[in-house]
Amino acid sequence: MNALLARFGRKSKPKNDDSYYTAGQFALIKARFKRKTSGVVAAWILGTLVLMGFFAPFFSPVDPTIRGADADYRRGAPQVLYFWDDNGFSLRPFTYTYTKEKPKLDLSALAGGNLNALDALTSGNALKASSQNKFTVDKEQRRYIQFFVKGWEYSLIDLSVAGLDLDIRWDRHLFGVEQGQIHLMGTDEDGKDVFSRTLHAIWVTISIAIVALIVKLFTSLLVGGVSGYFGGRIDAILMSITEAVRVIPAIPIYLACAVALSQMDLTPIQRYFAIAVVIGALDFAALGRRLRTHILTERNQDYVLAAQLCGSGAGRIIWRHLIPSFTSYIIVDTLINFPYVILAETSLSFLGLGLTEPVNSLGVLLQKAQDPDIQQNMIWQFFPVAVFVFLIMAFVFVGDALRDAADPYSEKK
Amino acid sequence: MIAESISNFFADSWLLWILLSIGSLLWWSGRDSQYFNYVFNRFVLALITLLIVSGIVFSLMEVLPGDCAEKYIAYKNTQGETITQADIDAERARMGLDQPLAIRWASWVTDLTLRGDLGFSCAKRQSVNLALGDRFWMSFMFCMAGLVFSYLIAVPFGILSAFTINKTWTDKNPQHSKTERIINSIGLSCQKVLDLVLRIVSYLGLALPNFLLALTIILLYVFAGESMPTGLYSDEWRNVPWFGTDGFSWGKLDDFLGHIWLPIFVIGWSATALQLQTVRALVVDESNKLYVDAARARGVDGVALWAGYPVRHSISPLFNSVGFDFQRVFNDLPIVAIVIGLTDAAALLIEALAMTNDQELAAGILFLVALVVISMNFFTDVVLAAIDPRVRKSVLGN
Amino acid sequence: MMINQSMNNKLLEIRDLTIDFNTDEGLVRAVNNVNLTVRPGEVMGLVGESGSGKSVTAKTIMRLTPGNAVIQHPSQISLQHENRDLNILKLRGRDLRLVRGDAVSMIFQEPMASFAPALRISDQMIQTMQIHLGYSKDQARHRGIELFERVGIVDPEKRFDQYVFELSGGMRQRAMIAMALSTEPKLLIADEPTTALDVTIQAQVLDLMLELREQMGMAMIFITHDLGVVSKIADNVTVMKKGEVVEAGTAERVLFRPEHSYTKRLLDALPHLEDLPEAPKHTPDPLLSVKDLSITYPLAGNGRKTEYFTAVKNISLDLPEGQVIGLVGESGSGKTTLGKAMLGAAPISSGQVEYFHTKKEVKFGAGMKIKRKRLAQTAQLVFQDPYSSLNPRMTVRDIIAEPLEAMKITKTREETDARVIEVAKRCHIEVEHLRRFPHAFSGGQRQRISIARALVCNPKFIVADESVAALDVSIQAEILKLLKELKEELGLTILFISHDLSVIANLCDRVCVMKHGEFVEEGTVREIFLEPKQAYTQKLIASIPLLEAPDKTRLRTGAQVAAEPVMESF
Repeated sequence: MNALLARFGRKSKPKNDDSYYTAGQFALIKARFKRKTSGVVAAWILGTLVLMGFFAPFFSPVDPTIRGADADYRRGAPQVLYFWDDNGFSLRPFTYTYTKEKPKLDLSALAGGNLNALDALTSGNALKASSQNKFTVDKEQRRYIQFFVKGWEYSLIDLSVAGLDLDIRWDRHLFGVEQGQIHLMGTDEDGKDVFSRTLHAIWVTISIAIVALIVKLFTSLLVGGVSGYFGGRIDAILMSITEAVRVIPAIPIYLACAVALSQMDLTPIQRYFAIAVVIGALDFAALGRRLRTHILTERNQDYVLAAQLCGSGAGRIIWRHLIPSFTSYIIVDTLINFPYVILAETSLSFLGLGLTEPVNSLGVLLQKAQDPDIQQNMIWQFFPVAVFVFLIMAFVFVGDALRDAADPYSEKK
Repeated sequence: MIAESISNFFADSWLLWILLSIGSLLWWSGRDSQYFNYVFNRFVLALITLLIVSGIVFSLMEVLPGDCAEKYIAYKNTQGETITQADIDAERARMGLDQPLAIRWASWVTDLTLRGDLGFSCAKRQSVNLALGDRFWMSFMFCMAGLVFSYLIAVPFGILSAFTINKTWTDKNPQHSKTERIINSIGLSCQKVLDLVLRIVSYLGLALPNFLLALTIILLYVFAGESMPTGLYSDEWRNVPWFGTDGFSWGKLDDFLGHIWLPIFVIGWSATALQLQTVRALVVDESNKLYVDAARARGVDGVALWAGYPVRHSISPLFNSVGFDFQRVFNDLPIVAIVIGLTDAAALLIEALAMTNDQELAAGILFLVALVVISMNFFTDVVLAAIDPRVRKSVLGN
Repeated sequence: MMINQSMNNKLLEIRDLTIDFNTDEGLVRAVNNVNLTVRPGEVMGLVGESGSGKSVTAKTIMRLTPGNAVIQHPSQISLQHENRDLNILKLRGRDLRLVRGDAVSMIFQEPMASFAPALRISDQMIQTMQIHLGYSKDQARHRGIELFERVGIVDPEKRFDQYVFELSGGMRQRAMIAMALSTEPKLLIADEPTTALDVTIQAQVLDLMLELREQMGMAMIFITHDLGVVSKIADNVTVMKKGEVVEAGTAERVLFRPEHSYTKRLLDALPHLEDLPEAPKHTPDPLLSVKDLSITYPLAGNGRKTEYFTAVKNISLDLPEGQVIGLVGESGSGKTTLGKAMLGAAPISSGQVEYFHTKKEVKFGAGMKIKRKRLAQTAQLVFQDPYSSLNPRMTVRDIIAEPLEAMKITKTREETDARVIEVAKRCHIEVEHLRRFPHAFSGGQRQRISIARALVCNPKFIVADESVAALDVSIQAEILKLLKELKEELGLTILFISHDLSVIANLCDRVCVMKHGEFVEEGTVREIFLEPKQAYTQKLIASIPLLEAPDKTRLRTGAQVAAEPVMESF
């Protein structure tokens, strides 16, 4: 249906504008991309997820760290939004007040050293996982959703890491409730809000992927560029090393490096970067090889010879002619590789060698999902899994469409 | 006495002789045959790559903490002996661990090329070859089965996807009558929707982390109240011999198949996405070529056209990538193996890397995987050069 | 009797054919209201330049239009088959085989690309015969070898089982013809069948097609842009331009009494051996001289000993200043390598190149380093392929300014821009187009950009390497005119490399002929074209497809004499 609409939309566009003629490669890729309906839909989903991840503090109603944990609502189920109930209709969505039943523990008896009390405690239902999820809903006490509520302070854009003195702080959040907290997707065993954690995790994971891909790009460019441009013996040596790296399975290598990292005394931030760098640096084989082939073919193109005959030196040819010729290719390849890098990060986290609690990364949250307790009693903690699946699928579909749309100069007619 | 030392000598260096004789045989045949000359070059290249792989793997293992001497002494420590730093150093010297990396690597490679000896695992206190036993073959078979599974899905679906890629949702050809247009539009829409669904399903394999997938399936079994399909056999069949008193034990086979489908399915599904994309791209590429139009102009149509032209011409590049596909599948196997509770080489690899820091064992397994990939690449290259005229033209130059 | 039969028989009739293409910029009309009739046994020459819709029309007859083509109402194509009129556009499913191989078959321009690379020619041909004639495998094989022999392939049994890349260019086209004839079609569509071939081979293939047509008596639609070729083979000619038929009639009328200005323009582009340009009275001093130049390439490493290929063997040559010198040869003659060597773009293994009358000495050769900047300001290249020679990621302004910026000839951006605009105007490029990217331009415009880039640093010498080969005849004429103009105004010396003798005849003062890396003959245009001395040159000159008088055509092809009077009675 969308394809149909898009088609009609295109027809009505004026034909005589100059944009096609002055359009560079990215404009052409964009035009072709727009024709792929599934890619466009996926791109919108992806864009929304990434945006929500980037401004996670704004979109999340609750502080995802232990500071914001709701001690009174641990292991709490998701709180549903309503527009109406028996008490009437409300344009403003609301939820109810949920309260946990406090397990009735006779601690005084325990303190007195009464072993029977301890027995009763352990054999009774009070400590059983499923019973801990019990809560009561007070339907009389509505909690109305408020928009742009004041909450904990966070930095919206923080460029102080990059050496700039720019740290925009804000304390407004897209939505929240007047008193207490709202847990759209429930809470975990510490009372941390699953929804907020997931939003924060998206950006952590994507930023790891970005760092990894930048490192990867750098190593690939170095290997591929040197190999392709100089050729000969250097090319032969570099390519046989690349070939060797390519045949060794990557995840075990990441593992070995992660084990080595775990021996070092690193802060979570350092660890985070170290893992990204390891994932990126060891993944140069495929892209490096392709860049080399690309440079080799591109180097024999007539326009490079033309530049040589025009008196351009090697540096100018590389900078002005060769590098622009594969920027679009590199960007497309990078986007296509996003899901694989994210998967590598989650695999490491799964084995406990990537990021670990209390950091919010999708890998960490996914790792929790394998806990039988969560699987049986806190199914809402699978929310990050759903987000993860959506994220990866969106990336793959965008990648597919981009691959089809890439290199607008490929069809010579 | 002499005969015995000679036989010892050969027993200690059998692998080298095999390699040398294959090499010289190829070299000899390559004197006046371009094809065998190519095979010989490819063989030498494969050996060089293996050598580099061994270097990378060996030096990578250096980053794992601890070394053999420490582990050995630590073991003794549990036996109640008191240990000093001097003891560790002495042990190191005895094991040759005080030598520089290059020398230790050289001796490891020498042992390997002479006898196929992968070294000694300290954590297991037995030779790596023994520790692995046929577990490596088990992993190999899992990967191959997973690969076959992913090809079985990816190839037909990829072709279908390529078939629909440039089609429109509706038929607006003014030459068709109204009813024809409606029927065609329905057909086209069905194809497009089918393609979309198939793509979503196969990409789900990538998007669902395989450990979660395996866990979820196991969970479903738990909820259904059935026994979990973990491991290779269930308890009752574990110790039953394959060939019992009353012939072949079909029950065991049944039980075995009931267990192994899970890892194969999980790793196969996650490999499907990339395969599908590859097949799709290859077939689309080929179907845009002029010879397909020329075949159409000769009256070749329908299945004969697709199977005989674009698909047939995409097979070689697909076949060529089998080695790397294997590597990619093996990448996923360790984690799945841990979740499912397999005891194959992949699970051993995780154990060696993350738990016991057993450098020798890990290096041995990684090297074997690389060996399989390199041999597959060698094999596919050689076969393709023999059967595909395009490859033959590009590598032999005629 | 015969005449009556042909009167009633229209083998193929195209009526009001209108085809649109569904593109990014909306519907684009490719073919507009085309009417065309082909009678049994007639050869219809379909002439036009690229984008004229001639190929699309031909493909529509076989229902091979690309997916985004829309055939509009009330187009109609009918084919006379077994005494029934069939509407081709209404054929569905299996019935399509009737126009795909059965009654109609096609010869493509590029034989290399139209055979599947990984299938033997025999398999593809046998498959075709099995589909249409229901032959058994042995029968088809037997027939295939017979056909191979008939189209003049040496050693047909061996060739039949080879792959397409194992055959030479001429052989490939012969195999393609054999394939097209294998189903004994009534109508053969030949889409530029000789364009990709060398002149001598083109002549052979044309002769073969004439001969086969005489023997088999099928009708033919012969698509080409070359009126010389058409005059050799066609009975009737239809000229198309931008999707419309501009002129149609008998070959004699269209070629010798053209009415439409476009046809006249096409005819003007043909060589006229009667009025070749007069050679200049005296030969000026040489601008550059090439001494004992040899160029050797190592062949891609296979086998244990490296083999070498000598592209240019020991050539000495003086190029007189201010003239246009043509360098002629067939593919593989080393003419491009020689041209590139003069610009220092090919590895010289022995000999040297020296330029005279330059500000600073420009001299290079084996063992001598090239002073790239000096050379670049003295000599420049205009490439063959206007598509790959312009960086698609740079604007036209940046492309033209490249030499100025790379060698820092101009000091400021304003100076560069002024110079670029000056050169662009001289090459008839509109100034507002300088902001655009090359993909927005057609081949001819791109070639102008390429020329502007070569001229921007005021060189004295230009090598034009097949610079008009990829262009249409009318565009060719414009570019050639531009080159002539530039020669006159700037006193340029141009080395014009081409395989197309007609272009050379129209443009050059002197001609050099090369074969297999060696010089064959050199002289003024008149000497070479009118009194060639060497056997090879004579063969080359004889192969030029010139306009042929109609009575000669009639003598050659007796078969269509019957059809001729019919046309006239219309």
